[in-house]
Amino acid sequence: MEFGFTTAAYVVAAILFIFSLGGLSGQESAKRAVWYGIVGMAIAVLATLIGPGQVFWPLTIMLIILGAIIGYQLATRVQMTQMPELVAIMHSLVGLAAVFVGFNADIMINQMDALFASNDLVLGAEGAYAALPSEMKDPLSSFGTLIAKKLAVEVTILQVELVLGIWIGAVTFTGSVIAYGKLAGKVDTSAKQLPGGHVLNAGAAGLSLLFTIMYLAGSGSWTLVLLTLLALFIGYHLIMGIGGADMPVVVSMLNSYSGWAAAAIGFSLGNDLLIVVGALVGSSGAILSYIMCKAMNRSFVSVILGGWGGAAAGEQQAVEGEQVAIDADGVAAALNDASSVIIVPGYGMAVAQAQQAVSELTNKMRAKGKEVRFAIHPVAGRLPGHMNVLLAEAKVPYDIVLEMDEINEDFPETDVVIVIGSNDIVNPAAQDDPNSPIAGMPVLEVWKAKQVFVSKRGQGTGYSGIENPLFFKENTRMFYGDAKDSVSKLLPLVE
Amino acid sequence: MKIGTPKEVLDGENRVAMTPDSALQLQKLGYECGIEAGAGHAAGFSDKDYKDAGVSVHKTAAALWKASEIVAKVRVPTDAEVKRLRDGQTLISFFNPAENETGLKAAAKKGATVVAMEMVPRISRAQKMDALSSMANIAGYRAVIEAGSNFGRFFTGQVTAAGKVPPAKVLVVGAGVAGLAAIGTSTSLGAITYAFDVRPEVAEQIESMGAEFVFLDFEEKQTDGALTGGYASPSSPEFQAKQLEKFREMAPDIDIVITTALIPGRPAPKLWTKDMVEMMKPGSVVIDLAAERGGNCDLTVMDEKIVSDNGVTIVGYTDFPSRMAAQSSTLYATNIRHMMTDLTPEKDGTPVHDMEDDVIRGSTVTHAGEVTYPPPPPKVNAIAQQAKKPEPPKELTPEEKREAEIAAFKKQTINQVTLLGIGGFLLLAVGLVAPASFMQHFIVFVLSVFVGFQVIWNVSHSLHTPLMAVTNAISSIIILGAVIQIGSSSVIITILAALAVFMAAINIFGGFLVTRRMLAMFQKS
Repeated sequence: MEFGFTTAAYVVAAILFIFSLGGLSGQESAKRAVWYGIVGMAIAVLATLIGPGQVFWPLTIMLIILGAIIGYQLATRVQMTQMPELVAIMHSLVGLAAVFVGFNADIMINQMDALFASNDLVLGAEGAYAALPSEMKDPLSSFGTLIAKKLAVEVTILQVELVLGIWIGAVTFTGSVIAYGKLAGKVDTSAKQLPGGHVLNAGAAGLSLLFTIMYLAGSGSWTLVLLTLLALFIGYHLIMGIGGADMPVVVSMLNSYSGWAAAAIGFSLGNDLLIVVGALVGSSGAILSYIMCKAMNRSFVSVILGGWGGAAAGEQQAVEGEQVAIDADGVAAALNDASSVIIVPGYGMAVAQAQQAVSELTNKMRAKGKEVRFAIHPVAGRLPGHMNVLLAEAKVPYDIVLEMDEINEDFPETDVVIVIGSNDIVNPAAQDDPNSPIAGMPVLEVWKAKQVFVSKRGQGTGYSGIENPLFFKENTRMFYGDAKDSVSKLLPLVE
Repeated sequence: MKIGTPKEVLDGENRVAMTPDSALQLQKLGYECGIEAGAGHAAGFSDKDYKDAGVSVHKTAAALWKASEIVAKVRVPTDAEVKRLRDGQTLISFFNPAENETGLKAAAKKGATVVAMEMVPRISRAQKMDALSSMANIAGYRAVIEAGSNFGRFFTGQVTAAGKVPPAKVLVVGAGVAGLAAIGTSTSLGAITYAFDVRPEVAEQIESMGAEFVFLDFEEKQTDGALTGGYASPSSPEFQAKQLEKFREMAPDIDIVITTALIPGRPAPKLWTKDMVEMMKPGSVVIDLAAERGGNCDLTVMDEKIVSDNGVTIVGYTDFPSRMAAQSSTLYATNIRHMMTDLTPEKDGTPVHDMEDDVIRGSTVTHAGEVTYPPPPPKVNAIAQQAKKPEPPKELTPEEKREAEIAAFKKQTINQVTLLGIGGFLLLAVGLVAPASFMQHFIVFVLSVFVGFQVIWNVSHSLHTPLMAVTNAISSIIILGAVIQIGSSSVIITILAALAVFMAAINIFGGFLVTRRMLAMFQKS
């Protein structure tokens, strides 16, 4: 009876989750969608507490409240610019939780094994559960009962599932921690690999497979521990080998992994809601990664197997000319004369926290009747949609924030383009130089505008280390300095 | 070594190939400079000016030619001048190599090196020595001045106490360097200026100079100007007919016509016919800058100014640059000086004739006893080729559209059926080995993946970050697993499960709250 109720609640929760994801198709419906997600989660947890997990209420509730407090603190304190880091570190929690749950399942199997053995029975044998004395059955938790009832084949499948859950969970855990480190600037952002590179990864994966087989053959739990260590290493090494510029894809990929881990654990626990939600998250993360890779014109495999560093097919074109600097007065004069302006924000704007100043500048220019728009490249920033979130935070109306495809054709008719802290996404070499590491990646064609101002800290090549011919173009002027200071200097000058 | 400049022998030629200024610059390159007495007189440079600049003055042409290893002059050398050349001597001058075969052969036989200034390739690097352009610039300017002096009215329109004066209407045919210079001069004098050119790509340049581009309603694949080094190429008869028709339509209104249309190596095209001249108002002016090659106007007489029966003045002078000798000498002498700079990389007064250099190779027409004209095509294209304009998408007929739709539909069907087939087969394969209890969950799993794929495609790009935050929060559904396990009798299991519950709880609340924070910020203006 209780399980019937739980299942019904799970169906409701699953539908709510689907609505929640689907509702994100528009800004307005998204606000409703989050509530669907919250309600869905509440129903799921409550149903589980009432249903199969009825023991230990006080501890569970206490832990959830404690987690809630910490989660609340994290979510309210975090700066919008640190959003990528937060999402990454939260993935690691899911990964670790999956590992723990997986290990618990293994321990439980061992306990059941011991229990059956003490009664001269074998776990998984036909009729073994029925033969078990009822005084032994009663203290078993619902999960224990579930395992105890399984047949031998089912136990093996269970083991396969929990191995998968633990393995993916462990990869997600270390991967997310490294991704967090890279995004927060605590770990070197360039692509680094230990000597051996992919061979090392492949070796670790091969060993994992070996241990899986040994574990299934009954070699004991130590294989599972080794397997976890290997997975932890793979997660670490895989993400260390990916350059900072690819982090958006990585975060979304880890998101997908955490979903698959949940689904695998769902299988081993026989919990349909876990399976459903895990699969939803897994597939959505996979698609998101795919969409982003397409935006960068790179194959998913090449992103996963290493950063920008891959061997270039030939000599990159040398850049001729020089970068011409300009001061705030010059930029302001051009802005005052312009009737249409496009602003291209990038990670540099996020780093300098310049979105507020940019928003103010936008308002000022719009008040003068100038057409001001924002062009957002799909991979601008360190997280998909990163720039949209920052601009939204600074109260830039979202209907003047346009995507690359919507605005790319408008550049030739634009008077002034201001590039704030972006580099690769406005690099003409992607179109002109077949040997460039970013050749073929769609870019914002800012150089077609009448005038381009690039706000940049210095002459460095930036994140991916690729020289940008845009900076050397005749209609480009370099506006050196911290993005926030630079834009703030413009504010009083723009009339 | 000595660079010498003789007095131009052609009657009426006022220019000189060396000015006191350029002489100073040449001396910096390590050369001595010499000049024939009175050479700069007509251009306003006295012998004393030259002497002050350290130039030696030679009394006769013969003495100068003898004393100089390098002779720089303006006009194509006469037979007598060619005879003066000697082995190892270098002549820098206009040479008209295309139509001066005897001159080329004679110079080559003498063993002299001839650098023809009109052969300087039209590449960016060589612009500083492009004498044709600097002369054309002057010709264009002078053409407008000449027209003005023969035209009885103002250029600019005025409303005065003594009545209203309409502005003059000027048509410039051919927008090369001379044409553009004429357009600039004419617009700055206040005339309404129209311009025409067979190369549609110059429309932008014409408009940038302030004139209106006369647009022909005619579709023709024009040869890309970039392929011919920026010069015009002959157009089709249909195009020419259309062009004349347009001119005929304009002729009655136009006060001043300046024609500059030349096609390299061909007689000037006839663009302003007799009947057009007859249609023009009395007092109108035609300036024909192509007079040297037969003229763009039917009535043009080379080197003369005539007045037609209906009172239209037609000017066929060929010496416009010479009429502004001070200006043109300065520019030409600078072109020569730049040429010498390129020829003297070491600045030691010794020219190095590097025949690998595009510019030097292109302009050298005889060298080491050989005629080296015509030169091979330059390695650098003068003007970047215009990007091919994308073909406009073809209008599909309804049948074609229908066919395309059917084809797309079929392809989609095949794709879907294949995918479904493979997927179904795999499912069946799994179902054959796996127990029923597993299959139950597996079906749920497959369906969920499918739903996830369908749902996410619609998420708008700007919401990808909230999407990740939401999926992150939702993925903490793993808490269910932990909650189920937490009630276990084993202590280890309870501890691990408790930790899992704790972490997942952080994630649930953190994830949803952050998402809400982000979404609350999206607002419409």
